[in-house]
Amino acid sequence: MASPVLVAKDYKPEVPSDWCPGCGDFGVLTALFQACADLQIQPHDLLVVSGIGCSSNLPGFIRSYGVHSIHGRALPFATGSKLANGAMTVVVTGGDGDGYGIGLNHFIQAMRRNINVTYIVMNNEIYGLTTGQVSPTSEPGMKTKTTPLGNLEGMLNPLALALASGCGYIARGFSGQPKHLVQLYKDGIQHPGFALIDVFSPCVTFNKHNSYTWFRERVYKLEEEDHEVGNFHAAMDKALEWGDRIPIGLVYRNPKPPPPLDVTDPALTGEPLVHQSYEIDGDTRRELIQEFA
Amino acid sequence: MTTAAQPTDVWEHELLLTGCQAVSHAVKLADVDVIAAYPIRPYTEVMDQLSQLIADGELDAEYIIADSEHSQFEIVKHASSVGARAFGGSSGTGWMYGMEALAVTATDRLPPLFLVGNRALDDPGAFGVEHNDAMSVRDLGWLICWASTAQEALEHVFIGYRVAEDKRVRMPMALAMDGGFLTHAQHMVKVPTLEAVKQFLPPYDLGDRVLHPDNPISVAPQVNEDWVMELRRQNWEAARRARGVIKEAYKEFNGVFGSHGSQYDNPYFTEYMTEDADAVLIGIGAVCMPTQTAARRLREKGHKVGYVNLRWFRPFPTEELRACLGRFKGVGVIDRDFSQGSPDNGGILLQDVRSCLYPLRGDGPNVINFMGGLGGRDISIDECIDMYERTLAAGRGNVPEEIVSWIGLRE
Ligand SMILES: Cc1ncc(C[n+]2csc(CCOP(=O)(O)OP(=O)(O)O)c2C)c(N)n1
Ligand code: SF4
Ligand SMILES: [Mg+2]
Repeated sequence: MASPVLVAKDYKPEVPSDWCPGCGDFGVLTALFQACADLQIQPHDLLVVSGIGCSSNLPGFIRSYGVHSIHGRALPFATGSKLANGAMTVVVTGGDGDGYGIGLNHFIQAMRRNINVTYIVMNNEIYGLTTGQVSPTSEPGMKTKTTPLGNLEGMLNPLALALASGCGYIARGFSGQPKHLVQLYKDGIQHPGFALIDVFSPCVTFNKHNSYTWFRERVYKLEEEDHEVGNFHAAMDKALEWGDRIPIGLVYRNPKPPPPLDVTDPALTGEPLVHQSYEIDGDTRRELIQEFA
Repeated sequence: MTTAAQPTDVWEHELLLTGCQAVSHAVKLADVDVIAAYPIRPYTEVMDQLSQLIADGELDAEYIIADSEHSQFEIVKHASSVGARAFGGSSGTGWMYGMEALAVTATDRLPPLFLVGNRALDDPGAFGVEHNDAMSVRDLGWLICWASTAQEALEHVFIGYRVAEDKRVRMPMALAMDGGFLTHAQHMVKVPTLEAVKQFLPPYDLGDRVLHPDNPISVAPQVNEDWVMELRRQNWEAARRARGVIKEAYKEFNGVFGSHGSQYDNPYFTEYMTEDADAVLIGIGAVCMPTQTAARRLREKGHKVGYVNLRWFRPFPTEELRACLGRFKGVGVIDRDFSQGSPDNGGILLQDVRSCLYPLRGDGPNVINFMGGLGGRDISIDECIDMYERTLAAGRGNVPEEIVSWIGLRE
């Protein structure tokens, strides 16, 4: 019997989300429901993994397998899951602090290794859960609880970093435009290899600077300009653009994406590890006994 | 809320402060040079307060938000090795994440002070208090001390730096405070004058171990079996000497502040209604509140019970505590921590209290253990009364076969 057609609300669990009213993460989640429905991903074939933070609470608010791991370590967890069961769709979610701060090393390594997961970062340019400290993506001069006179440090640029680290799919969205996000997610999930979707997701409680209005006044869609998504250098120019105009949309897609690790790893060729048989055939057994005899 | 300044030259004013705020005032008065921070509840309030004090021009210190606890602790450690008085801190899982750095801070014999706002270790997520975080460095060469009021927290920043930086000691100091109950509850706190603090706490001087262009030394070279034993022995000697240095520090502290309100009879622990007691409970941190109230209520009914509030956990006050607890028939150890698989499968404090009492053999008290308040669960006065009653019974010889019991556990 064919499975019934899935719609967005099939991914909505009974548990209500615990974000503040108006939090950008709601838009991120709703768009994810829609993308999963459009791709007809069965909840039991979907694993959503996160670290720790307001944004990292997301796996608790979607009907799928979910893991709320530890701060900064969502990507290592996802790497292990993907290697064990490459048949699962693995979506990793988290915040700017989680992924671009304490977990930054894993972000670079996962892109370098080309782990086949989709990484959605709810970038609110602040540590939300710990109530408003400066983050690696906070703008210079920004006033936060820990920078009452303004941030003295520079901003980390996740898009440029992803390009430099060999990531094959790099996009940026805005949770104020969830329809646009849906397409970015779908393409990211279908991309064979690591896909990054950095999402501006305003923290209405602790970041009074980067509000919905602030973003709305600045963002423009790359799809509406003649941006060449397969051109590395054009992508780098867009990744570096910041100020009165900030691009959202697909920044880069590798026209010849290299196969992801779960395809190139010899132990994983063929079936996913979890489906491979534990049995060894008689010949192999005899060979092994001879080898160690 | 501020009340009028006390007319002494020791206290500047009395303020309504949370435990974290009290510590940030103390960090300012201790003239700390370098602060590294990384947010995690409940410690976060200290770092938020300190950045405000710097912004307000009240504190002149270098302040950096690290990208994780691991780098935070390394920054603090290195600042300390160039001769800066340094401050850091964390809670729960954040403290554990920086463990590699915490271990080398102790083996490098550097004396920064860290606030540990005690918090349960993940998983599952929990913001409430447990003591396993701070206790995890107990074997590594750290000084570990618990404050049980905001006033004590403030005062132990001064006492802590003084002991840690003493050239006979030079060990890192973990000042621990129960998350929520102490870090975030407000108390009236007397804040001393800068002059009084200066009188008590000399400037930090690392002597010939300071990293400086004029003093070319290298830190932590590879020495293997050639030297590790001797270096461990030096740590051991420092931890031994710390006991005497702690006593000296409190004597001095009482000299400066004692006649004006803050007086410590015993550096290591505080006894409450223990005179002539048959049975006592011993615990750490904020549990002293319900246990003391329960002791008063039981005393009114004629039961001879008292409470011992342990302050210093490392170095462990072996002789002093043996002399104290040896006077009673029953001792109930309250652990807001756990030591899974240890003898009797009880708490960490239980292990130390029992081995400290071991030389008394049959002349010592009967010891039982209570595991309670894990993950920040409240320990009620009624539960404390129950613990006293069971400890009294143990003192009379009714020691249960299973000496560990869980308090306030949902069945
Ligand atoms: C090892 C460790 N250190 C610190 C914390 C405390 N902590 C929880 S969430 C968080 C930052 C969250 O910021 P971000 O990832 O941007 O998520 P947001 O809440 O803004 O969505 C921190 C520092 C922790 N849980 N574990
Ligand atoms: S604190 Fe900020 S990020 Fe967290 S739920 Fe509230 S609005 Fe969202
Ligand atoms: Mg954030």
